[in-house]
Amino acid sequence: MKKYLCFLVVILASSMFLAACSSSNESNGESSDGDTVVIDFFHRWPNEPRKSFYDEKIAEFEKQHPNVKINVDSVLNDSYKEKIKVLVSNDDLPDVFTSWSDTFAANLVSSGRIMELNDVMAEDTEWSGNIIESQYAGFTFDDVTYGIPFTVDGKAFFYNKQIFEENNIEVPGSYDELIDALDQLKKAGYETPLVEGLTNGWAISHYMGTIFDRVIANDILLKDYNTETGEYTDPGYIRGLEIFKELTTYMGEVSTAIDHEAARNMFAAGEVPVLYMQFAEVGYVQDAGDVEFGFFNFPEVEDGDGRPKSLTGAPEGWMLSKNAPPEAVEFLKFLTSEETAKEFTKADGQLNAIKGGVTEETSNPTSLEAYQIILDASDATPWFDNAVDISIADVFMRGGQELATDQTTPEEIMAKVQEAAAKLRNQ
Amino acid sequence: MKIKRVKITPILFMLPTVLFLGLFIYIPLIQNFYNSFFEFSVFSQTKEFVGLSKFKQLFADGVALTALNNNVKYAIISVILQVFFALVLAAILEDKFFRRFAQVFRVIYFMPVMISISVIALLFGFVYNPQIGLLNSFLELIGLEQFAKPWLGNSTTAIYSVIAMSQWQSIGLITMLFIVSIQKIPKDLYEAAEIDGAGKIRRFFSVTVPQVKEATFVNLLVTVTGSILVFNEPYILTNGGPGNSSMTLAIHMYQTGFVKDDMGYASTLASLIFLLSAVFALIQIKVSKTGKEE
Repeated sequence: MKKYLCFLVVILASSMFLAACSSSNESNGESSDGDTVVIDFFHRWPNEPRKSFYDEKIAEFEKQHPNVKINVDSVLNDSYKEKIKVLVSNDDLPDVFTSWSDTFAANLVSSGRIMELNDVMAEDTEWSGNIIESQYAGFTFDDVTYGIPFTVDGKAFFYNKQIFEENNIEVPGSYDELIDALDQLKKAGYETPLVEGLTNGWAISHYMGTIFDRVIANDILLKDYNTETGEYTDPGYIRGLEIFKELTTYMGEVSTAIDHEAARNMFAAGEVPVLYMQFAEVGYVQDAGDVEFGFFNFPEVEDGDGRPKSLTGAPEGWMLSKNAPPEAVEFLKFLTSEETAKEFTKADGQLNAIKGGVTEETSNPTSLEAYQIILDASDATPWFDNAVDISIADVFMRGGQELATDQTTPEEIMAKVQEAAAKLRNQ
Repeated sequence: MKIKRVKITPILFMLPTVLFLGLFIYIPLIQNFYNSFFEFSVFSQTKEFVGLSKFKQLFADGVALTALNNNVKYAIISVILQVFFALVLAAILEDKFFRRFAQVFRVIYFMPVMISISVIALLFGFVYNPQIGLLNSFLELIGLEQFAKPWLGNSTTAIYSVIAMSQWQSIGLITMLFIVSIQKIPKDLYEAAEIDGAGKIRRFFSVTVPQVKEATFVNLLVTVTGSILVFNEPYILTNGGPGNSSMTLAIHMYQTGFVKDDMGYASTLASLIFLLSAVFALIQIKVSKTGKEE
């Protein structure tokens, strides 16, 4: 009898342990001790100066709300994309988290686990109305808004003013002039006048998205970027890949072995005269070196059918989990308030979508120039890896690396893209 | 009554292990096979039954073939360097002449084993760096600058650079296992061989190699299955690139599932990885007839 009792105890103990295992991740917004509310906060800036900025903001919010405890977690870019997917599939989303716009946001929304923000925005128009209207688009699907835009961004060629002046090179106004300028720089002794960290797939995708927007008519792009109608048969894609290939010939052998950060440091050190970068990186370049730089948009491609002056770039913002407590909404408003936005741009140098957030007080002339370019852009082209399905983007990104190392041809890449697109259409 | 009691005690002892093995190994394994018949994404809560179409996709998948090819390269090089070379190394370290320095060398060889693979991968990122990397600087120093290249950014050298790093890390562990095994060999076998006039090389092949058969088997199994499962090293160093040139099956599976969001096909790839490692393990168990020590 004793043995049977023993047996029962073992069974009970192990089942209790298992029960504990399975229920451990249902902590979303639950009170942990009495009336303390725990908010899980997940962002993608484990690096400075943003990490400290958010750490300080969290401390400030906790001070204002003694009943709130914020758990913060952060990982970089690519890891963030992967981790958030794992979290959403396990129904383990943090209460407040960063999101890119367009397909990235759309994918998250399709899980049905993201909070709809229309009511929250309607209740507090003083807050929601203070955000630049146009930036909501990337977070709005079927008239429902799921995210609050915070940072705005654009991508342009940064160039070293001093090197350009020394060699009498004008800011190029067309793609041919850009190639001319690069050739001249090469002659002047810059072995790699242009550089990029091609180990980062997203850096390749940014190039591709812009180039396609220059050479292919917008209605064709819109049709192709939609997974239900995408065919990718326009000859412009081949032309676009050829342009990309031509540009990589100015990047040298090094580019496929370094990442974007290394490329940026090369630019900041004055070793490389031109680099395609985001306005968000202005601060990093200024911190890393003392080169004087200006920017110009990816120039018009003369025989292209696309939009010659559109700017590649899209906002990033915050999303809430469906199960987030009301305090998380408070925290969201706090994160996107005018006051936070001002301090943010002052501390980080990055531009934001809050009206009054970017002024002469909060940012330097270079950043203000960039801000004006964003506000003035004829159209905005979303980041390519967020504009198309990831299986298409992946073919272009890996294909871009293979193009740079002479491993493939534009035609081969397009055949793979068309195959992937056909698969998506049939889903 | 007594018989029943005897029967229940071993069950009680085994129960927790069986329970946990089942829960964390066998159930997920079966679930994985089951999932490979479905089309589903991490974002959706519905699954669509697609039969064997994911397996058909596998046979037409060029990337999987590249990956498999890389895994095979990994396995062959690892067996030669880690198993064969480590055995030679262990024999040298256990040689009478080397005994005095053996301690120092053992520590040197074993050191990399204790460092986390992420740290090592970052370290080797610096070693392979095309501009400031140790490797290229060294080649330039000894006048071989024509061989300097962007090791990880070149599609022909990327996979070998990754494999080389792996060998550097793992050889110490395998050597250690062989050393332990060599130390168990009775001394009189060597003495008898010496009296019979066998030289050092003859003694190595006639005494050491047959005596460490069990250890060789374990090491072979560890390296070959390790090569099929390899993920961390290429993922951190190259992410499978440039292009797909240093892709392995595990990275392909991971990216299919968590980057391209095709969980069904990722499950199929996982099944392939499982089958490959299981088959290799079975073959090795069969061939080496282990467990029956003579």
